[in-house]
Amino acid sequence: VTSSRLAEGGSRIDRSRPIAFRFDGVEYPALVGDTIASALLANAVDAPFRSPILGRPRGVFSAGPEEPNAFVEISAPWFDPIAAATMVELVDGMVVESRPGVGRLREKAPSRRVEHRHAHVELLVIGSGHDGYYPARDAAARGDRVMLVEQQRDVTEGAGGDFIAEGVSYLTRATALGLYDDGYVTVLEHAGELDRLWHVRARHVILATGSIERPIAFRDGDRPGVMLALAAPGYLGNGVLVGARSVLFTARASACGVASGLRRAGGEVPVIALVDDREPDPDLVGDSEVLVGWVVAGTEGERRLTAVHLEGPSGERRTVECDSLLVAGGADPNLALWRAIGGGVRYDEEAHAFVPTDGPPWLSVVGAAAGEVWNGRPYWFVPSDDYSRHFVDLQRDQTIADVASAVDGGLRSVEHVKRATYIGTAIDQGRTSGVLTAEVVNALLGQAPGWQVPSNARPPAMPVSYATVAGPYRGKLLDPVRVTPMHASHVERGAVFEDVGQWKRPWYFPREREDMDAAVARECLAVRNGVGLLDASTLGKIEVVGRDAAVFLDRMYTNRMSNLAVGSIRYGLMLGLDGMVVDDGVAMRLAEDRYLVTTTTGGAAMVLDRFEEWLQTEWPELEVWCTSVTEQWAVAAVGGPDARAVLIAAGTDIDLTNDAFPHMTIREGTVAGVPARLARVSFTGELSYEVHVEAWFGRHVWEALLAAGEPNGITPYGTEAMHVLRAEKGYVIVGQDTDGTMTPHDLGMDWIVNPSKGDFVGRRSLSRSDTSRTDRKHLVGLLPTDPDTVLPEGAQLVDRDTGSRPIPMTGFVTSSYRSPTLGRTFALAMLERGHERHGESVIAPLGDRGVAATVAAPVFYDVEGTRRDG
Amino acid sequence: VTVEPEVLRRSPLAARASDLARLGGREIAFVSQVSLRTRHPGSLGLPTRPNTWTALVGPPREALWLGPDEWLVVGPPATFTAPGEVAPVVDGLVRPDSLVDVSASRAIVELRADDRLEPRTLLEHGCSIDLHPRAWRAGMCAQTLLARVPVILQQRDEGTRVFVRPSFADWLVDWLVTVAP
Repeated sequence: VTSSRLAEGGSRIDRSRPIAFRFDGVEYPALVGDTIASALLANAVDAPFRSPILGRPRGVFSAGPEEPNAFVEISAPWFDPIAAATMVELVDGMVVESRPGVGRLREKAPSRRVEHRHAHVELLVIGSGHDGYYPARDAAARGDRVMLVEQQRDVTEGAGGDFIAEGVSYLTRATALGLYDDGYVTVLEHAGELDRLWHVRARHVILATGSIERPIAFRDGDRPGVMLALAAPGYLGNGVLVGARSVLFTARASACGVASGLRRAGGEVPVIALVDDREPDPDLVGDSEVLVGWVVAGTEGERRLTAVHLEGPSGERRTVECDSLLVAGGADPNLALWRAIGGGVRYDEEAHAFVPTDGPPWLSVVGAAAGEVWNGRPYWFVPSDDYSRHFVDLQRDQTIADVASAVDGGLRSVEHVKRATYIGTAIDQGRTSGVLTAEVVNALLGQAPGWQVPSNARPPAMPVSYATVAGPYRGKLLDPVRVTPMHASHVERGAVFEDVGQWKRPWYFPREREDMDAAVARECLAVRNGVGLLDASTLGKIEVVGRDAAVFLDRMYTNRMSNLAVGSIRYGLMLGLDGMVVDDGVAMRLAEDRYLVTTTTGGAAMVLDRFEEWLQTEWPELEVWCTSVTEQWAVAAVGGPDARAVLIAAGTDIDLTNDAFPHMTIREGTVAGVPARLARVSFTGELSYEVHVEAWFGRHVWEALLAAGEPNGITPYGTEAMHVLRAEKGYVIVGQDTDGTMTPHDLGMDWIVNPSKGDFVGRRSLSRSDTSRTDRKHLVGLLPTDPDTVLPEGAQLVDRDTGSRPIPMTGFVTSSYRSPTLGRTFALAMLERGHERHGESVIAPLGDRGVAATVAAPVFYDVEGTRRDG
Repeated sequence: VTVEPEVLRRSPLAARASDLARLGGREIAFVSQVSLRTRHPGSLGLPTRPNTWTALVGPPREALWLGPDEWLVVGPPATFTAPGEVAPVVDGLVRPDSLVDVSASRAIVELRADDRLEPRTLLEHGCSIDLHPRAWRAGMCAQTLLARVPVILQQRDEGTRVFVRPSFADWLVDWLVTVAP
């Protein structure tokens, strides 16, 4: 056979526009309007596909989205790892390869351009047939916004202008992937070179998804050339005759129309095997011989069907030569989307099919999908002694014998059989196997049709690539990136950035040929011995305002904030209801009724949410309002013995002397010519000023401080040096040294808990037996015996090797660094009874060696705290 | 030499003017913004219908409803105030419960329709609320997500204003440029 393309006819193809494509390395001609499947059939490509597990030759089985055999990878002009050949329209030069149902990833592949769009409509209709088109038109006439989604390239109800109703948005070549609560529907539209993923919110959704022909299971029913009957008229639309000589095997007399269509196109249909009590229309039957009660008992042919074996009601046998076998088991309402959103189904004794029952109030189902199908007496499979080649799921290569094996093993529910056999779990979602499998199970259990309904379907209804789901959110747009007002300066200075949540924070500022260790060491020493500058703008900041602000903060923090003097700062710990530390920060009292509270960078949103939750749900009587000002203020922290000198050089009208401006107070004035709030608060132990300026002055102040500090060798430093410096002082980082299971006592911070001040969140939990037991893990310092060894963060700690296995683990390392100031390495760790164990030894087992370390108090530098005043 | 502080300011999207222009947009920089919280909005003439905004009496200024007790008052160019001092845009309003200056807390992008591009079309690439003229008109505002970024949208006769935290602004413009036709 060279071509099955008819000399004329085919409304979907443009005969004046020949194109070419490559399939499995061979170039074939095609026409504009062909799908990959129709072109393969037109070129009479034998056995283009292989079954995934058994490797059996397979051909195109359908003309639509239910296709279980014909899957391809597309590599040009775009990449698609897997697609049904029946659903992809060819473009000139397309390169495709058959795939046995499993896609492959490519490192670099040109995916189709993707965009996401949101739309709101009063009515969304899925399926543009008669039953979908008219409600869409009527709703549009009433003035509703209407979207009509059609999987094929044309609105089914005639392509003429009459059928394009005004006010209806048509999406053709579009598939509803999933229905979700309250009328949210995702729709994938193939628009030329573009994939458009629609997020539609519809007040009402109508499913006019029609029906799907169900197959009949019989021996060797998977040979290339065996197809669902309705595929034949489908491909005539592409000017393709699926077979020169076709046999029709049908359980519904109405399918005889397929035979008349083929005959008109020049095909031959010698025999119709009919298992339906109803008489077929003689006009449709034509000159075909109708064998009532006969079935297909088997097929012949290696790479292409050559004959079918028919069996009569009394066991008589006939073999008919043919190259095509068209199977019509009956029409099943297409209810995949309906069921995936929770719509119910029942077996209808008149329709002989599963029809919809109750569903969500915003969802209707109409037409064939609603059960308007006229099937004959159901006929699911041809009885046999050997069911090992009666395929029910072509994509999973599963047969009636496999189903029987599962049922014999004691599985009765179709959901269990599905999971034992994987039937229905392939990328075709078991569209042609779901009903059949359920009825095979029912029959094997001796039950009537419909005793069990088919297993459920889930979105997406069609394979959809991750690239499509991702849309524009890939590469640098993968996730929103937040930067501070000083960011451009950091980039110019060659900063290496660290991701902190969505923020990009400078990690360290390497100089030429400097590695990370060297840069961090230099930055640390600059702060200890001279002056450093940290961009602290990402700190969470919340203004807490109102008559009851002080009362409120007393309840949210473990210590008292109400007696803080205006203009002063106090450190605070925040606990969860379980008594565990969830965040820390400082509160600055700006006025009697106004505090500025800082949070950790990562905790900002959580803390504001927590504040709002308590205010709105527990204490609505409090007159307190919380406003995020994280982004109102850019913050540059000047730290080190020379910090004061730098501020003076930058120009300020604020008296910086210790007496006028002591530690843990704030002052307002100007710095470098712009209004600023200075906060004397230190996370390094050194004299330190946080310079808060309105965000639009952030870059100016940063540059001005660097310029003013040049004589002092001012050094911009990043988060890594900041971590080392604070760890030398034993200051914890919530989220690094804590993991939501540490009480203030565990952290050695009893001093900040004031139970006498009244109730606060988490207070009661601190007296629970578990939180107050004495053998909890406590924060300690660790000094490795070898001062050059950096313990890995996360390393487990053991007391000593007792010889027994497993060794009891008594702690773990939370922070670990090389300190240029101490001239050695050190770490912070959580250790059982750690508060009592300073001076003892522990071992960190690392691979086959144990690294010994001495337990110490978690303060390594300036224990007396003398350096903070400069 | 004394430099006026105004000269030292840098707006979040100063470097993206040409990108914004290609989208029919521009940055509205340095306007006054004040977060106003009160349980008694009626006496202040604030809009009480959710997701609407109105001009207030007195100096040119607008109040956007953000929540049952929360408004954003937006006014003329921000003046040079001491830290924490609330912009004069709220002068004359009977003292509400909380005023916090947030003038530097949000960048504002105004998108106007031009021959090629409707702001609505652009926003519908990444915003799930109903922006069809039937549901979304001048006088409305909303707090929502645009491309996963928290924003306030304000619909005006001349176009749509997008209020976005400055930290997200650069990324959001990258996104707009990517999705624009």
